[in-house]
Amino acid sequence: MGPGLRRDDSGRGGDSSVAFHNQTRFLPAMISDAPVLQQTSEPAESTAAPSRLSRYARPVLGLLLPVTLALGWELVVWSGWSSGRLVPPPSRVFATITGLGRSGELVRHIAATLWRVSLGFAVGVVAGTLLGAISGYWSLARRLLDPTVQALRAIPSLAWVPLFILWLGIFETSKIALIAVGVFFPVYLGVMGAILSVDRKIVEVGRTFRLSGPAMIRRILLPAVLPAYVVSLRVGLGLGWMFVVAAELIGASEGLGYLLLDGQQLGKPAQILAAIVIFAILGKLTDWLIEVAAAPFLRWQDAFFRAKGA
Amino acid sequence: MLALDRVSKTYPNGVEALARFSAEIRQGEIIAIIGGSGCGKSTLLRAIAGLDRASSGTVTLDHEAIASPHAKIGIIFQEPRLLPWLSVADNIGFGLADLPATERRAKVARALERVGLADKAQAWPRELSGGQAQRVAIARALVPQPEVLLLDEPFSALDAFTRRDLQDHLLDLWADTRPTLILVTHDVDEAVVLADRVLVMRPRPGRLFDQIEINLGRPRERNSPLFETFKRSVLTSLDRSLDRNVPDRDATQGPGQAMWW
Repeated sequence: MGPGLRRDDSGRGGDSSVAFHNQTRFLPAMISDAPVLQQTSEPAESTAAPSRLSRYARPVLGLLLPVTLALGWELVVWSGWSSGRLVPPPSRVFATITGLGRSGELVRHIAATLWRVSLGFAVGVVAGTLLGAISGYWSLARRLLDPTVQALRAIPSLAWVPLFILWLGIFETSKIALIAVGVFFPVYLGVMGAILSVDRKIVEVGRTFRLSGPAMIRRILLPAVLPAYVVSLRVGLGLGWMFVVAAELIGASEGLGYLLLDGQQLGKPAQILAAIVIFAILGKLTDWLIEVAAAPFLRWQDAFFRAKGA
Repeated sequence: MLALDRVSKTYPNGVEALARFSAEIRQGEIIAIIGGSGCGKSTLLRAIAGLDRASSGTVTLDHEAIASPHAKIGIIFQEPRLLPWLSVADNIGFGLADLPATERRAKVARALERVGLADKAQAWPRELSGGQAQRVAIARALVPQPEVLLLDEPFSALDAFTRRDLQDHLLDLWADTRPTLILVTHDVDEAVVLADRVLVMRPRPGRLFDQIEINLGRPRERNSPLFETFKRSVLTSLDRSLDRNVPDRDATQGPGQAMWW
């Protein structure tokens, strides 16, 4: 078998004439133990070179517009055509960030916000995963539970704010509850949907190997559900960041959302932009953390995309 | 010995998929089940596998009743049904979870070698061609050494060359431990190449119509006149099974009665 397949790899360089030559040479070896057609079905990747070029070119192209705008605005303000009072240039935003950082205030605000998001995210994920799993696994529970959850989902989550404040007070608990509500729904839906869409044919494979209930969950259901679960976690986290802003705008004495509000009330647009930039960085960073943490378990999917996208 | 005694299956919607199917299958025998669509071939196979329970009648393997999947019975489906998150090697070892790791690895390595995919051990199923994936499925089913291997149209999704290659390969693997093979197919060629005995079923309700012994030595030459003769007799029987004017024969008379030419 070996030579027949290695022939395939040698064809990957792109020179199809070399590939074809090797193919004919190894033909006798292949006939003995492998079907010829499946060997030759993989095309030589002669288009690899241009696609690799665009792979690096694409992010650069994407950066072109924002960088040009930022530099252009910087130039406009620097040359005195605009005071940049309402739309501060990048340098002033950066100066604000370093200033806040030097005074130690930035760390305090970031820590407060991160703490709220983490706690709300944790509560939302646990609740969403549990209820989603129950609804997905057990159809009676789904009939009982799902209509109510779907009805609650239709309520704009910010509508809960007054109630949460009455119930849970104006301090941390109501904020965390709001974030948790935001995180809950995508996770719940993701888990339930993923369980419902697990391929019955694969479950049947588990049955033919006489897997017990727990083994079926561990060896079939969990890995099958994981890709959709990771996506729902990322969506949930995105909503968590959205709701932390809402929660902190409503009333907080610290946190990035407070920086936004403070910047508005005291007329400091650079501070607002600084908070927005930090939100963007933190949001991207935490999203990336989930991606990285899940990557080892989802390598089989990468193989799929690599095979398709190449 | 695998004994099917008046196995019937009526689905909840009232469709009678299988009516009083009886057969006795010797250990190591290769059986092909063939018939028109809706003749209950797959229903029968799933009943033998213990995946679906028969409405009435019994399936017994060495006098042990089969009502749920059994360790001695393996099954290969039309699709490979590999677990996409496991490497090829882990897929093959899927049914060996109870064995110690070293023993499992050794068996998997041997099976990989045997199906000619040793260099694909760490590949993901999605990187395989259809034929390679079905080889992995065959290896996965055979590696726990079942006494009975059920195959539900295992090669029907493959192109003609790959199919032929895998048919030969299956016989080659079968010779290692000689399990009983029960193969559902709609390919007369495949039935005659592989089987010791071809069971012809007729539809609505699915029932046994005829059985034909294939008294041909192996390896079988697909182009030989004798092969053609057997093929023709299976085709004739298949045609008669679909002709409503032909009454049911008593297929339990015993094998060989179809060799009337």
